[in-house]
Amino acid sequence: MIAFLSPLLVLLVLAILSGALLGYAAQKFKVPPNRLVDRINTLLPQTQCAQCGYPGCKPYAAAIAAGAAINLCPPGGDATIIELAKLLDTAVLPLKLTGTEDKQPEPALSKKVARIREDECIGCTFCIQACPVDAIAGAAQQMHTVISKECTGCELCIAPCPVDCIDLLTLPQTTAKAMPAKSLSEQACIRCGLCVEVCPVNLLPQQLFWFAQGKAYDKAKQHRLMDCIECGLCHAVCPSHIPLVQYYQVAKSHIHEQDAAFQLAQYTKARFDNRELRLAEEEALAEQRRQQRAKLAAAKSRQEDLIHNALQRARAKQKPLRDTP
Amino acid sequence: MSEIIILLISAILVNNFVLVQFLGLCPFMGSSNKIETAIGMSAATTFVLTLASMVSYLVYQYLLLPLNVSWLRTIAFIVVIAALVNFTEILMLKTSPLLHKVLGIFLPLITTNCAVLGVALLNINAGNNFIESTFYGFGAALGFSLVLVLFAALREKMLLADIPAPFKGSAIAMITAGLMSLAFMGFTGLV
Repeated sequence: MIAFLSPLLVLLVLAILSGALLGYAAQKFKVPPNRLVDRINTLLPQTQCAQCGYPGCKPYAAAIAAGAAINLCPPGGDATIIELAKLLDTAVLPLKLTGTEDKQPEPALSKKVARIREDECIGCTFCIQACPVDAIAGAAQQMHTVISKECTGCELCIAPCPVDCIDLLTLPQTTAKAMPAKSLSEQACIRCGLCVEVCPVNLLPQQLFWFAQGKAYDKAKQHRLMDCIECGLCHAVCPSHIPLVQYYQVAKSHIHEQDAAFQLAQYTKARFDNRELRLAEEEALAEQRRQQRAKLAAAKSRQEDLIHNALQRARAKQKPLRDTP
Repeated sequence: MSEIIILLISAILVNNFVLVQFLGLCPFMGSSNKIETAIGMSAATTFVLTLASMVSYLVYQYLLLPLNVSWLRTIAFIVVIAALVNFTEILMLKTSPLLHKVLGIFLPLITTNCAVLGVALLNINAGNNFIESTFYGFGAALGFSLVLVLFAALREKMLLADIPAPFKGSAIAMITAGLMSLAFMGFTGLV
């Protein structure tokens, strides 16, 4: 009997003990609301365009943290998908357009801006109300115009326009340089280290070359690529005739572009936050005014009631007098 | 004291769990793409391995042996390991959610990391006492970490290198692992 029961007993005891440990741990180390959401949110372009199917960038960030696909953001394009894939350590997916099947996928990194055909604008202010980043200037019955620098190309202003006078323009392609074709004299790096000795700002040109070639730009930045003064000494001494400076220039232009996109996203986010704040303040003020009016109306009706009652009483008193002959 | 040191050297270098005994190859290949990931995985595995070898020793000595059910050890150890891995996961979600997200599926997979079960069973076969078991587990974890971080560093370098197309990705990683294994054969006879 014991021989039959003891294995069961042992496993039962183990299961209960480990269950108790896990239950205690789950209580003790409860996770606060996700900090990952904020990190994802900073990577999104903050256009608040809702083309992903979520109401804005923050909700989409929360959805990604919970496991949604990372390729639903058209304004961010491939750059955002790559950044997200890097953060979450998942595969890079091609951009997917949700709910807008008729649209042609745009080439990567092409920025779009809205433009109002100004002679057709009737000044209805509908687009101003729709713009999530306050990039449209204008007033009622006045011509509107888009501030291109601040427009995110989110397309939210196009649907509300009653006269269809808003166009979406595609800005010229990126400014990042492409690597020129390899010259015949260029040979493979033999790691001789001559470039390290001649570099006047004490960089590691050979290491930077590997990073630039492998497109490991954050690594290149860590190794102070941005400090390179492009003097060309490393190229001059290289026995393999590698045009090192050209590689650095390409890498630098890519880094600059990434930084610019990130800064633009931060700026747009600040504008969006400001707008949200302003709308909330306006709503609060309106609510206050509504309450004040309601209070005034209530006081007025109370006064009217008093007068009315007094009149009634007076009439009631007068009536018997009048009835008597 | 000297026995402990010999035990550690034996577990880390001579009988390295990954490269000599071929245990725990799944996380070795899976989580060695980046050094940061590899270090996180090493820390988690070290924690689990050391704790698991301690707890499984206690379970074996004070639960299984007295009740005469030592044949139950494999399943009992797996229960212990699974509980510890889950505990680590909860702890990591609290302390470092990003690492938790980065490690992803490899964190729960420590449960099926055969190095963890292997250490527990090898401890019993070798008749190690509690202190020895602890240090053997810790040594095995250090060996695993050492190899994983070295391998991750190599793979980061390989990412930048000009590798022929058919060898890109896992193929060159497998070959590199084989070469590392050959190198570790050099430690044979050290202890």
